Amino acid sequence: MKSSKDIWVFGDYRNYFQNRVTLQILARAVDLATSTGGKVCAIVFGHNVNEYVAEYIAHGAQKVYVMDDPRLLLYSLETYSKLLTRLAKKYQPETILVGATRFGQEMAPRVAKQLKTGLTADCIDLEINEKGLLIQIAPSFGGNLIAKIITPVQRPQMATVRPGTFQELPHDYNASGKTMIEPLPDDLPEDRIRLITSEHRPSKKQKIEDADIVICGGRGMGSKGKFKKLFDLADLMNAEVGATRPVVYSEWISHHALVGQAGKNIKPKILMSFGISGAIQHTAALTDADFIIAINKNPNAIMMKMADVAIVADANQACLGIIKALKEKIRD
Amino acid sequence: MLNIIVCIKQVPMVSELPWDSKTGTLKRELAEGMMDPASRRALEAALQIKENQGAHICAVTMGPAMAQEILHQAKALGADVGVLLTDKRMAGADTFLTSHILARFIQREYENFDLVLCGSQTSDSETAQVGPQLAEELNIPAIGYVSQIRAKENSVEAQRHVDDFFEILNMDLPGLITIDLSAYKPRYLALEGVEKAFENPDIRIIDAKKLGLDDSFNALKDSPTRIIDVFSPTTQNENRVLKGAVKKVVDQLFDEYGKVIGSAMGKDLKTHEHDEV
Amino acid sequence: MDFNPCMKHQLIRKTVREFVESEIKPHVALMDKESRFPWEIIEKMKPLNFFGLQVPRIYGGADLDTISYAITIEELSRVSAALGLCVTVHNSVGIFPILKFGTPEQKKRFVPEMAKGDSIGAFCLTEANAGSDAGGVETNAVETQDAFILNGTKIFVTNGGVCGTILVFAISEGKDKRNHASVFIVEKDRPGFSVGEIEDLCGMRANPVSSLFFEDCKVPKTNLLGRMGQGMKIGLTALDTGRIGIAAQALGIAQAAFESSVSYAKERQQFNKPLSKFQTIQNYLADMATKIDASRLLVYRAAACKDKGKAFSAEASMAKLYCSSTAMEVTGLAVQIHGGYGYSKEYDVERYFRDAKVTQIYEGTSEVQKMVIARAILSKPS
Repeated sequence: MKSSKDIWVFGDYRNYFQNRVTLQILARAVDLATSTGGKVCAIVFGHNVNEYVAEYIAHGAQKVYVMDDPRLLLYSLETYSKLLTRLAKKYQPETILVGATRFGQEMAPRVAKQLKTGLTADCIDLEINEKGLLIQIAPSFGGNLIAKIITPVQRPQMATVRPGTFQELPHDYNASGKTMIEPLPDDLPEDRIRLITSEHRPSKKQKIEDADIVICGGRGMGSKGKFKKLFDLADLMNAEVGATRPVVYSEWISHHALVGQAGKNIKPKILMSFGISGAIQHTAALTDADFIIAINKNPNAIMMKMADVAIVADANQACLGIIKALKEKIRD
Repeated sequence: MLNIIVCIKQVPMVSELPWDSKTGTLKRELAEGMMDPASRRALEAALQIKENQGAHICAVTMGPAMAQEILHQAKALGADVGVLLTDKRMAGADTFLTSHILARFIQREYENFDLVLCGSQTSDSETAQVGPQLAEELNIPAIGYVSQIRAKENSVEAQRHVDDFFEILNMDLPGLITIDLSAYKPRYLALEGVEKAFENPDIRIIDAKKLGLDDSFNALKDSPTRIIDVFSPTTQNENRVLKGAVKKVVDQLFDEYGKVIGSAMGKDLKTHEHDEV
Repeated sequence: MDFNPCMKHQLIRKTVREFVESEIKPHVALMDKESRFPWEIIEKMKPLNFFGLQVPRIYGGADLDTISYAITIEELSRVSAALGLCVTVHNSVGIFPILKFGTPEQKKRFVPEMAKGDSIGAFCLTEANAGSDAGGVETNAVETQDAFILNGTKIFVTNGGVCGTILVFAISEGKDKRNHASVFIVEKDRPGFSVGEIEDLCGMRANPVSSLFFEDCKVPKTNLLGRMGQGMKIGLTALDTGRIGIAAQALGIAQAAFESSVSYAKERQQFNKPLSKFQTIQNYLADMATKIDASRLLVYRAAACKDKGKAFSAEASMAKLYCSSTAMEVTGLAVQIHGGYGYSKEYDVERYFRDAKVTQIYEGTSEVQKMVIARAILSKPS
């Protein structure tokens, strides 16, 4: 069978509604397909998944390949990656996009390996070049640089996409799409991993992702002790505290507070950024912040250039100053 | 006794790499190397298994000659063997070929392995792809982002918290596990360990030929992905810059933006001292 | 000749740096401010072999070479000169003389506990009327049938407030009716031994430097180190080794002040450009870097001489003389570059400045080092 121009999006519905990455990727796929000409297809594995099929169609999928079987009830890395590989071999899509959830990040590499193709991790943008190739745009080299990556020869082109990167399309109740029911192959090997317990345990992370005010601190705070002052400020402002990677690696705060790659995307009304220089791993997660106040001794730091208000000062001193001022200004 | 292979990587020590903005190239040579934090945690997991139930630990890395340093470090921490996979023709490998080279080494030299441990993602490229791809090529099961391992006779039990699910899984051996950055806080290295490691400084060095890679093998050319452009993200923004004494700038901040801040806080802020009634 | 550190020495440096950056650095400013000896940090340092750096493994040490030892002290002092002082004194003038001059019984009795860090070492020579001139020592040891009775007061004893094993330099009258110096090992729980007040010093404030009192302090004959009258030799040997440590300590202080200056110069804006764009500041930084580099080479050379079993007394003195004066110059310039902030406790450079001065004074003043160096030059046949 000759290869199609289709763009596939893996339907990652576990933890829906919080996890909307599939819808976000569908929206971008619709854009990309206007220049490549293929169809936007969603792939759904599971049991009783009709509601997701409908949801994906309403958000841009023109075709949905579905495998619905009680044996697929649980997310299984081994089974899902084998099924996706077989489907891809059968229908030869031009591109496969997978949300960079933990599951997606484990599954996509295995599929890419089986299909002997390339894979770019955690893209923050996708474009099509003049030759119709997918430009996979991802942070690189420790986050200070952005790389444009292509897969020139092998097909499909594959990428995982960071959640929160694209805006989902509005729910279109009139959208129609074709549902392709695929039979579950009966020669699937037995799973070598068995789930003993699974418990839905949303971590506190939702809070920072939804917070109206986020206070982020970087190494410029000086020390673990000084960093703790940010919590005092956060208490005063009903804010959540986030941090950069070096801070998390120095164990000034737990990994849950990491804002940026491998951490959280935030969309606060106000972001206060203390002593952060602004590596792309971090700043890419801030694009939805409405108003940014950055404090740094270095006026030329990228974070300062990004900010709406850039305060040239020692981050720790400024933090203490703002706490003092707020204590005077808050009316009871 | 478990036969454990730990894949480690040398990464630049600084989070901000020296970058030549004129030529657009990285001055990697200016950055000191260190063991990638996640792979150090993978090594820690292996060391704990070794302490609890006995294990043979082989630490392997692919990289230039200077990457031997982290192999000495791994041995100082308690690994039994250090292996460096190094060759000009391996340079520039993407995750597809990196995992291929590692798999080739394991298949040739460590056929009887029980468990492969990797960090969940490296601090320099953060793709999190080499572990899963290595497992796929070795045709073994893998569990990622694990925070706790309990190794048994022919299987391991692994705990993890991913995508808001707390899971306990049981996996057949041989298998591969990637260790999460939040788990297995690595021990400090004792100075005696460093001294001892260099008293027996054997590191096995294996090149492309010894791995049986084709004469035509060239990782940079053969990698399915290609980097076509690298650029520095600079955002220019019309912004308000406040500078001077801390008290002055803080007052300015609230004078000019007190309303915005107050409304986000859901509180009414006094705008000026004399505003008090 | 290879001027690049080998992989082992690089790894030693990284190993120490990793620990001190995360476990010590966050507490240094407060330790200094409160003049507090951080026992909780000492506990964390013990398993890493900081207290048995060059002690053979049979006594529980790390058996490092002297270059590794110097790198360890340098890196430790780069973050906390006061702890660098504690560790180098403990190792070089506390343990080393016992290893070099002690009987097998003494080594077994004292060294393992010290190497573990469970007993911190001190060496006391200085008295109210004796410092550079060891001939002025008045603390005396009277031999009885089964013991020595020590009487006297020692001052400015590094680790004095926390020491467990003390080497005491004392004189006794020999059969020739002349005074001979000897060294005695005193455990802190011997009756008659007591610790005086902690000195209120300009720098090194986290190290409890104090006076020590010996009042009819009775020690068994098995606590005599070496032979009677061997005190001067033991003292000089200990100090030669100690000087490599103090040189490394001064180097670490200078390095810290330099790093802080570079980052401040790049960051601080004056007249709409960073300080680093001003030629005057560039000149300062160039001078600092050059002197630090020269200092480092001198320390490692002295250490290498010692490792090769060659005479290293003059080399150690040159290293100590040059490193300590470099530390003084570099920390002074660092304060200057930081301007008003440099004079403020908000920044670390004023502490570096205060800590640096004493490296020109203890374990032989700069003037004494010059005497040692001159003696070595002039004693060579021309």
